[in-house]
Amino acid sequence: MIKKFNDLNYYELLKIQYNASSFEVRQAYKNILAIYEESSLATYALFAEDERKAILGKIEKAFSTLIDDEKRNAYDKSLVDIGEIPKNLLTAKERQKAIPLIQVNTAMTKDNNLARIRKKIKEQGTGKLASVMLNRDFISGQDLKNLRESLGIELEEVFEATKISPTALEAIERDDLTNLPPKIYLKSFLKSYAEVLQLDAKQLVEGYVKNMEKS
Amino acid sequence: MKRIYSIGGGKGGSGKSFIAASLGILLAKQGKKVVLVDLDLGASNLHTLLGQRIPQRGLDAFIDKTTNSLEDVALSTTIPNLYLISSTKCSLEIANLFYAQKLKVINAIKNLPFAYVLLDLGPGINFNTLDFFLIATEGLFVATPEPTAIENTFVFIKSIYLRKLKLALKEANMWHICQEEVAQLSKGALKSPLDLINILVGRNLENGTVFKDLLSGLKFSLILNKFRGQVTEDLGEQLVEVCNRHLYPSFDFLGNISYDSRVYESILARNIFIRKYPYTKTVSDLQNMARRLTGEKQQPIQIKALK
Ligand SMILES: Nc1ncnc2c1ncn2[C@@H]1O[C@H](COP(=O)(O)OP(=O)(O)O)[C@@H](O)[C@H]1O
Ligand SMILES: [Mg+2]
Repeated sequence: MIKKFNDLNYYELLKIQYNASSFEVRQAYKNILAIYEESSLATYALFAEDERKAILGKIEKAFSTLIDDEKRNAYDKSLVDIGEIPKNLLTAKERQKAIPLIQVNTAMTKDNNLARIRKKIKEQGTGKLASVMLNRDFISGQDLKNLRESLGIELEEVFEATKISPTALEAIERDDLTNLPPKIYLKSFLKSYAEVLQLDAKQLVEGYVKNMEKS
Repeated sequence: MKRIYSIGGGKGGSGKSFIAASLGILLAKQGKKVVLVDLDLGASNLHTLLGQRIPQRGLDAFIDKTTNSLEDVALSTTIPNLYLISSTKCSLEIANLFYAQKLKVINAIKNLPFAYVLLDLGPGINFNTLDFFLIATEGLFVATPEPTAIENTFVFIKSIYLRKLKLALKEANMWHICQEEVAQLSKGALKSPLDLINILVGRNLENGTVFKDLLSGLKFSLILNKFRGQVTEDLGEQLVEVCNRHLYPSFDFLGNISYDSRVYESILARNIFIRKYPYTKTVSDLQNMARRLTGEKQQPIQIKALK
């Protein structure tokens, strides 16, 4: 059931999970701004000036809170206190943070990781399988997963290279409609995924979205 | 299960009739039994888009009681499985149907024995158009990616939304309570359209929830036609995202349909565009849409078979 816009908490407003990574927060912010900013065709003549201002103000506030670790922790606590989110959220978030590779020198591990993936792709060759997949009208998450696994690439490696949370990646690979990120975010996730596997991003996005919409 | 799709949207010339005709043909080609109903009373032109002359009989015969079966006036077309109920013979006055006549037509449409019923609507937001639009199990809005067309689409969506609510309130004998608020909401832009529901919920929790559920049950989809890459490909998804955030019904984006100047030429020459130019982007866009409406599935690739 839809809540009134004003009652949404920051996570609901940006449509992200409570344990979303900062990459996802940034992505979500970019996408929601594209909808509500003044020059957007998507809300052309839809809001009175003061309404739009209020909405943009709230979006700004949400972003600046969730992108700052300290502010975000305080905000999460306040949500727990009023019972909006379960207590175990904070530990769940810790878990995601605890994946060691991103806490070490992020830039370096990301590069190493990408190099490792590239090497695997070179050894195994995505060639035939990828082109068969991309030339199909419909591409499922299972197709993607099959391709990734046949290259011997772990889901965690894709996570490290893209910074898309494992939950979101898993939902993508399982065609798990209920847990997929909203479509406008999904597209940029798929693009990042395609880049990591050195696939044609446009074809992948088109095929995946088509397949998803059918079900 | 029978599916009724209405094809509407505020603006004339956005391509509603072209899309209705094209989807009708593509669904019929998939072997479904399809009927197109021309409900642009007073300005019907669906027959032209099917490359046909003015039909001999149509909705008029049902309205003036020459026949009492609407199915009788569903005439076959040059495409197997595709039937057309034309309204060319309906005089202009008929555009303003009497309430009882309208109800009769609506009921008859709901009972048409076809797997797919596509309703092609006229422009504007008069009550007849809105009520015909609401017959459908799924409403399709056609817009073009231009500011004025988008604005019109929002006006249309808001009008549909309020019309549905008003009919439900009248039925529940609650209309008088909310008349003022609805009048307020009808003015200006789509100003907090959820407010009315929230007022109802606030006043009388039980009834408010009923209306909320009623509106949540509506299913709408958006089509962007005459797409030329002049705007972001994400526009359609952004639009339904906005609607889903601020309104109760569920909105989906069905896809972009590419612009092709030959559409105009073929209509002029009474050719059927998708027959004459089957390998264009526009036709492949329409095909994808038709497939989505019927929900065809494809199996994932088997790795082993490939290696
Ligand atoms: N995809 C398209 N590309 C180019 N022209 C189109 C397209 N769709 C519709 N048109 C043109 O737009 C005009 C209006 O289309 P029509 O279907 O009659 O609109 P409506 O029923 O919404 O008033 C037609 O003359 C047709 O030539
Ligand atoms: Mg028309």
